[in-house]
Amino acid sequence: MSGNDTGSPSSHRPRRAFLADMGLGFTGLALGAMLQRDGHGRDDPHLQAHRRPDGRPHLVPRAKNVIWIFLSGGYSQMETWDPKPALNRYADKTYDETEYPNPLKDPLFDLRSRAVVGGTRPHAKIFPMQVGFRRYGELGIGITDWWPELASCVDDMAFVRSMYTTDNDHNAEFQMHHGRHKLDPPEPVLGSWIHYGLGTANENLPSFVFLGKYKDTRVRWNFDANYLGPAHSGVELSLDPGNPLPFGTRSRGVLAAEQRNQFDFINRLNRITAVEYPEDADVRARIRSYELAYRMQRSVPEAVKLSGETPSTQKLYGIDNKTTAVYGRRLLAARRLAERGVRYSLVYLSDYGEWDSHTKLKTLHARSCARVDKPIAGLLKDLKQRGLWDDTLVVCCTEFGRTPGLEVRNSTEKFTGRDHHPHGFTVWLAGAGIKRGVIHGRTDELGFHAVENPHYVTDLHATVLHLLGLDPHRLDIPGRKRLDIDYGRPIHEILA
Amino acid sequence: MLQRNWFLFVLLVFASWTRPAVDAAEPVDYLRQVKPILVTHCYGCHGALKQEGGLRLDTGVAVRKGGESGPGVVPGKTQASRLLSRVTARDVTLRMPPEGQGRVLEAAQVEILSDWIRQGAASPDSEKPQADPRRHWAFQLPLRPPVPESVAAQNPIDAFIAVGRRDRGVIALPVSRPDVLLRRVYLDLVGVPPTREQRAAFLADQSPGAYERVVDRLLASPRYGERWGRHWMDVWRYSDWYGRRRVPDSLNSYGQIWRWRDWIIRSLNGDKGYDRMIVEMLAADEVAPADQQNLVATGFIIRNFYRWNYNTWLKDNIEHTGKAFLGLTFNCCHCHDHKYDPLTQVDYFRMRATFEPIEVRQDRVAGEPDPGVYPKYSYGKPYKPLTTGMVRICDEKLDVETFVYSKGDSRNVIPGRPSIKPGGPKFLGAADWKVEAVQLPAQAWYPGSQEFVREEERRKVRQDLEQKRGVLGTARKLVAGAQAAYIAEAGSDLARQKLELARLTLAVDEANVQASVLTVAALEARICADDVKYLGRSGDANRSAATASRAEREAAVALARVVVARARRSVDQARGSLKPGDKKSRDLLLAAEKKQVAAGKAVATAVKALEKSSTDYTPLSHQYARTSTGRRAALASWITDRKNPLTARVAVNHIWGRHFGRAIVASTENFGNSGDRPTHPQLLDWLAVELMERDWRMKPLHRLIVTSQTYRATSRTGGTDHPNFSRDPDNIALWRFPPSRMQAEVVRDSILWVAGSLDGRIGGREISQAQGLVSPRRSVYFDHHGEGRMGFLDLFDAADPCDCYRRTRSVRPQQALAMVNSELALQQGRRLARRLSETAIEEPGFVAAAFRQVLAREPSQAEAAACIEFLAQQLTIFKASGAVKPVADPKPAAVPPSADYRLRARESLVQALFSHTDFLTIR
Repeated sequence: MSGNDTGSPSSHRPRRAFLADMGLGFTGLALGAMLQRDGHGRDDPHLQAHRRPDGRPHLVPRAKNVIWIFLSGGYSQMETWDPKPALNRYADKTYDETEYPNPLKDPLFDLRSRAVVGGTRPHAKIFPMQVGFRRYGELGIGITDWWPELASCVDDMAFVRSMYTTDNDHNAEFQMHHGRHKLDPPEPVLGSWIHYGLGTANENLPSFVFLGKYKDTRVRWNFDANYLGPAHSGVELSLDPGNPLPFGTRSRGVLAAEQRNQFDFINRLNRITAVEYPEDADVRARIRSYELAYRMQRSVPEAVKLSGETPSTQKLYGIDNKTTAVYGRRLLAARRLAERGVRYSLVYLSDYGEWDSHTKLKTLHARSCARVDKPIAGLLKDLKQRGLWDDTLVVCCTEFGRTPGLEVRNSTEKFTGRDHHPHGFTVWLAGAGIKRGVIHGRTDELGFHAVENPHYVTDLHATVLHLLGLDPHRLDIPGRKRLDIDYGRPIHEILA
Repeated sequence: MLQRNWFLFVLLVFASWTRPAVDAAEPVDYLRQVKPILVTHCYGCHGALKQEGGLRLDTGVAVRKGGESGPGVVPGKTQASRLLSRVTARDVTLRMPPEGQGRVLEAAQVEILSDWIRQGAASPDSEKPQADPRRHWAFQLPLRPPVPESVAAQNPIDAFIAVGRRDRGVIALPVSRPDVLLRRVYLDLVGVPPTREQRAAFLADQSPGAYERVVDRLLASPRYGERWGRHWMDVWRYSDWYGRRRVPDSLNSYGQIWRWRDWIIRSLNGDKGYDRMIVEMLAADEVAPADQQNLVATGFIIRNFYRWNYNTWLKDNIEHTGKAFLGLTFNCCHCHDHKYDPLTQVDYFRMRATFEPIEVRQDRVAGEPDPGVYPKYSYGKPYKPLTTGMVRICDEKLDVETFVYSKGDSRNVIPGRPSIKPGGPKFLGAADWKVEAVQLPAQAWYPGSQEFVREEERRKVRQDLEQKRGVLGTARKLVAGAQAAYIAEAGSDLARQKLELARLTLAVDEANVQASVLTVAALEARICADDVKYLGRSGDANRSAATASRAEREAAVALARVVVARARRSVDQARGSLKPGDKKSRDLLLAAEKKQVAAGKAVATAVKALEKSSTDYTPLSHQYARTSTGRRAALASWITDRKNPLTARVAVNHIWGRHFGRAIVASTENFGNSGDRPTHPQLLDWLAVELMERDWRMKPLHRLIVTSQTYRATSRTGGTDHPNFSRDPDNIALWRFPPSRMQAEVVRDSILWVAGSLDGRIGGREISQAQGLVSPRRSVYFDHHGEGRMGFLDLFDAADPCDCYRRTRSVRPQQALAMVNSELALQQGRRLARRLSETAIEEPGFVAAAFRQVLAREPSQAEAAACIEFLAQQLTIFKASGAVKPVADPKPAAVPPSADYRLRARESLVQALFSHTDFLTIR
């Protein structure tokens, strides 16, 4: 550099000291930890007194990575994982006409629901189950007939049939991911806490990934780091190998060799500057980030390229079938990412609101089940056969359940569906650290209230964090108040 | 007891991984181990601020003494110690801290307490109780402190900074190299770097005051308002509408809010006082109700709008008024009294009462279609964003009452509790504001009485009249023609029919003209009546109203006659096309005749209406409430009162923080007891008073700051072995200028600027994010909202539109990818390389020019050599690839790579310079 900014003898600084920084300073350090040290953390004095995570888990981790499958719109608990024969017995009756207490008069009804907008949602008449069910596996776990493939997996799955949330409208989707009701300020989403707490296991790939397609941009709230800052938000990957990562593809007019040389040149210049400014940690972080960027640009397409998978693997995920191909590809990509060290993949396995069956529940649910049954079962089987079962945690969830009663709001159509239902629904987990073949918690006989071992959504978050070795209390940010309910409690009963 | 032990055991098991239990044999240190637990978990309700149950826990003595229910701790006896039984209670109604007000103690913490009690619960005698939170520094009025004596410092800022440096034993670094300083101040004040020409001119200007002249020029530039506007938009949470954009359904913020953004930029460029800005943002409709240019300032309140739930709207208004202007965290008091500051839940609801009467109002703007009245929410219905006119706040619910509810849930209104009056924090003397209702001028509550509305309405009816007259002329000619034909054809049936039709059409057009004439007259009569009735023109209000009323009714008669004339023509046509025995044509005729009868009746009714005498006439627009409660004006006047200890401090702290990358009080939105301490309290107070005494104008303050030696100091230390690093590694004392990375908008704008592409137009409707990489407008003008930010900006830590009192700053590989692969960097790099090549023939000259333009400095020898080498390498690569036939690009870039390899290598070099750390860094 030409100038000597201060006249201080900087050029006499031993070059060796700087090179040592370059060569050794970052070896073995997680990128997240490095960036936190050099960038954000140091820059925000408010956080200085606070010890930021160093990328090491707080407890012995049981899982290395998570595939979080989300089915948007709210699947019916009774037509999926929590069949309720009582509904058939009392079909077309009101709640008062059953042998059970009227769930609408239970104090839980007000306690666990808080409307964003006013308005009543009548659904007094009981709607019978729209599908049959059978008991599967050694324990005889009852699931409905819409899961022919997953039926063979129930002995590996842990069902939590007592989830509840507090929003009776679709903002519950974002609540499922960040834990807060729409009327309360949002928190960082689960994946962001994980990224913040653990950093990355593979520097060449983003650590928190979103796989899915959407037109409604609110879907992005599901991977928004909020006050943790955009560096901890989920990175959207597309399965198009030509352009899998935003800005992650060489422009058409640019040659590979030209760009390789340009990357080298950039860092050559930046190294000259780094010698001039040995106190500037940002330069070193930037040099490193350009090296990573170059590798990321090559690694991401490789990671989401499915053509290298054998036909039998592709078939396992249903990629050979039109109905299941799209979601099968997404889950196969998720497995490949997990294998390569991506910690958290949020796999959006539906369109936005796809499961929201206010009418035609039978047709719509049957269709949506058929789209995901084979791919999800394929994922579970694939994880087992590849020895990834003990590393990878699979979670399958939705934002809320559906009413045992018949939806009667939309008067222009025949009533054939169920309304939103925050009071009780089912999620399931499988894989690393999870007991095989268990049912935990229970809704009442009508599938209305979560009555036994009820769990708010943050308990699910706490369970995932616990398995990854993180204690959410130790991730607090000063000045950001979190309540007990925000941390949740791990569901120990389903842990292996 | 058994149960409690069991609970303790469970806690211990759960928490055993968090901290090893304290060895029972190891003596517990009260100050080091016990007191921090009490401070964190108990002080909020049992300290200086409050003494729930008569209990204080802020000294060992007080802990032992206990409260109304007895001693808190009995030394040596864990079982008899209430402190322990309450923090471990299984019953959530007994357990401390209560749900929602603190966290359950961890097992290890319980263990410390119990060991301490068992060991005798000792504490030092010298222990002082917690200080009164009301005495907190930020709640005392700032007085201008004397400027410390200093030989060297001519600028008071430097004198204060020198004291801090001396205290920390660090020495000041010398002033920056001129071009480094120039680039710094450009990026700081206007958000783009100096061009080669600007740099050369500055370096050549050896006369005294050269730097100050640059500063003055930059502060006078409209670019200043855009740059600093973005800062304040962070703090004031600027957001375009969002909610369900896909639908589209505008739920949060509002369409047309960009006028508030333009107001911010305009106000800053005009150096409007910060106090006045606050007043207008909170209450322009009460203090300047007829001033459209400034009414849009209430976008500050509109931004918080949430159509689905007004409680949320009010909550956000309270929270962000508190944080942005006062550094007070009212949001904590939504559910309970504040745990650290003397703010109560009642204070919160007093603030709520201040905002309670508000409603959104859509106003017409000259030259744009009338946006109509704000549509109130109807359940389940989506609302498209507003696209014309403006949006602003008004008071609508003038008598509304505010009731306290608990647990932050508006369903839990506490029964029997009287309503709360508007006000602010009691401890700051704001519990009883003098609220005076504001009588609004007619232009404010009756937008139709504004001159521009009248003129536009006049133009509309007159244009209509002209148009009708034109049509009438044509109709007359047609009749004349038809008559001539009738004569020529010697009265053929067809000609007669045509003549009849032309005559009937003429009758319609004559009626139309008549109606238009009377409509024009009626409008004038209505305006005339408005003048007398509302605008104070002399005259008999009743008489002019009666005239307007009659004129309107006469116009109504004429309009009814138009319908009759049309009906006649229709009957005639239907009769003409009647085919014997054809039911369809018969039905058409019957229907036409029916309409004719109805039209005739309507005329009769309209004529009958002429008989009655009335003073009712249609106003030119909706009429709103004629008064406003004055609550928000009272709030604004309290906030901007010179006796308010917080406002000016919070403002100068923000300004300082944006100049230096770190504020004096790091927690810019929290000046309370739980916020950060100021690093330079005296300087903060001095600046606060300075701001107020300069009529709250910000430009003089900017000037003072950027001309200080502290600001001009170099950032370069030569290495971490500089002795200052060991004494003050974080540069708290500002012994050097703190370097930082460009903010997201500065990155994007600077690329466009150095390439000569930046579009200098100011203001206007927000531009779609999707245009971000191709549009040359400044980043501040793109839509930015709670549903999404421009991807490029987001990677560089753009503001969270919902909460950004401070920006984060990251270094990420994805930023590198954006700088290397984005069409923005690629195409602008090509443009610049070509522009520079127009004059730079030889490579060394080009390299130097590129460095000057992109990095605002000269290349070193090593750099120049690296660049020359790179150009040659790229040239070799291009030549080698020349044999390969290029694939046809289906979507060619607007600026594709140059076909001339030498030029293309230069393009590659300029693009690389955008990735240079010295481009992204403000040194």
